[in-house]
Amino acid sequence: MKTDWLKQMFAAWLATAAMLFTQTSIAQDAAAKPKIAVVISTMNNPWFVVLGETAKARAIELGYDATIFDSQNDTAKEAAHFENLIAGGFKAVLFNPTDANGSIANVEKAKAAGVPVFCIDREINSTNAATSQMLSDSYSGCVKLGQLFVKTVGKDGEYAELLGIVGDNNTWNRSKGFHSVVDRYPGLKMVAQQSGEFDRAKGLEVMESILQAHPDIKGVFCGNDSMAMGAYQALVTAGKDKDVKVFGFDGADDVVKSIAEGKIVATGMQFPKKMAQQSAEFADQYIKGKRDFAQKIAVPVEVVTKENVSKYGDYGKKP
Amino acid sequence: MERLTTWLVGIVITASVCCLFPLFHIVTLKTAAAEKAAATFNATQFAETFWTNQLPAVFGKAVNADALLPVIKSDTAAAKKKFSRSVGLSEGYFYFVSGSGRVVAVSDDEVLLAVTDGNTNAEVSLQTGLIFGNALRDGTGLLSANDYPNSQDFNDISAALNHLVETRVLPKLRERAKVGAKISFVGCAEVEDEATDLKPLKVIPFQTKTQKN
Repeated sequence: MKTDWLKQMFAAWLATAAMLFTQTSIAQDAAAKPKIAVVISTMNNPWFVVLGETAKARAIELGYDATIFDSQNDTAKEAAHFENLIAGGFKAVLFNPTDANGSIANVEKAKAAGVPVFCIDREINSTNAATSQMLSDSYSGCVKLGQLFVKTVGKDGEYAELLGIVGDNNTWNRSKGFHSVVDRYPGLKMVAQQSGEFDRAKGLEVMESILQAHPDIKGVFCGNDSMAMGAYQALVTAGKDKDVKVFGFDGADDVVKSIAEGKIVATGMQFPKKMAQQSAEFADQYIKGKRDFAQKIAVPVEVVTKENVSKYGDYGKKP
Repeated sequence: MERLTTWLVGIVITASVCCLFPLFHIVTLKTAAAEKAAATFNATQFAETFWTNQLPAVFGKAVNADALLPVIKSDTAAAKKKFSRSVGLSEGYFYFVSGSGRVVAVSDDEVLLAVTDGNTNAEVSLQTGLIFGNALRDGTGLLSANDYPNSQDFNDISAALNHLVETRVLPKLRERAKVGAKISFVGCAEVEDEATDLKPLKVIPFQTKTQKN
């Protein structure tokens, strides 16, 4: 009886010791892992969720403790994130900025604190603050979309444009790339150009008001896919989805599916996973000692249409 | 009296400090606009300087079409590796190419040339329609995105260079390009799809000259 009691005591002690050892090991392991911050302009858009989650996943794969910070398209929130991550001992930042000019100070602050920043997808207007910037070639992508727009909509008629956030360079690189083509055709008249702030609900709202003022438009060029989906929804409600050609930009899954279904004409595939993974690998290389990174790295954009849509999906090209 | 002196001394000190370190500057709207314009990147002006000063100096570095085309024909990958340049993570690439050939056909958007000895088929297509994209900006390797804080400025250079080609090169080329004429060229070719962009090689010309037979 006494032997049984002693055995039970010993087993309980062994189990407790094992548990304590495991917990201590896990805690030590987590504490030992260097931290990488993933600061994303907004997690209220599926495309950016993919960008942020992929960057985080790749950083974890590379042996880091990664945390996502959502700036909610607010430079003040973004600044607070930078204050926190610098104080929190993060070793690198994978950064999707909210504002090309407004975000520079945050990057400079991190640099001064010895924390390298790798911009993903969105640019800051500086060549010496970030360690590297991996940017979609929005301009070239929209040159191609502009050429397709003319081919699809024709060389005459009215059209509208939904711009993204006006403080973001991508907004203007996309718009300028598109206009570098369509403006060469005097018969194509832009009757409305308004910001839908890269947001689906705002895109819907803006498109509704454009349709009331300009019911005869033949096409709408949207600076991202969320706005394209919003615009398409407005067109369906107005019974004009068959008359107005919708063009997006991003390569979001719902738009790729809509292209396959013939609802949206085309989008520009930006490869967010590729950019996020590469940026995480850059951060890893920096932490391990590499210093010579190209400042601005263009990532090509591919046009997705009904003809080639089978090659694309899951925010990239199918293997 | 003593109080008045203290006040006067105080006023004089304050005025002196304000003169030395003014709290604000008055600038006319005209001057402010001029300062803003000076600080803004002028792509047209930049392209003009680039066109006149930098570009002609590197024409001699362009790969000769006589050397390039046979390699493209026999081993596209080897030609890409040896003679092309690419930007960022792009799978597409550029050739900075020169050469001369005989005009074999002319259409609204292109002048087709037979370039290599004994060949009568179109091997180079000089683009003569509307010029879009970044081939001229990126094809020579002289300009880099790393030098431009705002990519909008860098992209504006493309539009400005395209405009220069459309207004200064293409009108003369269209005028002189008759079937049988011999034309020399220096330009850039962008290859995105090897199946369509290489045969013939689509070149946007910086310069063309008609040669005597």
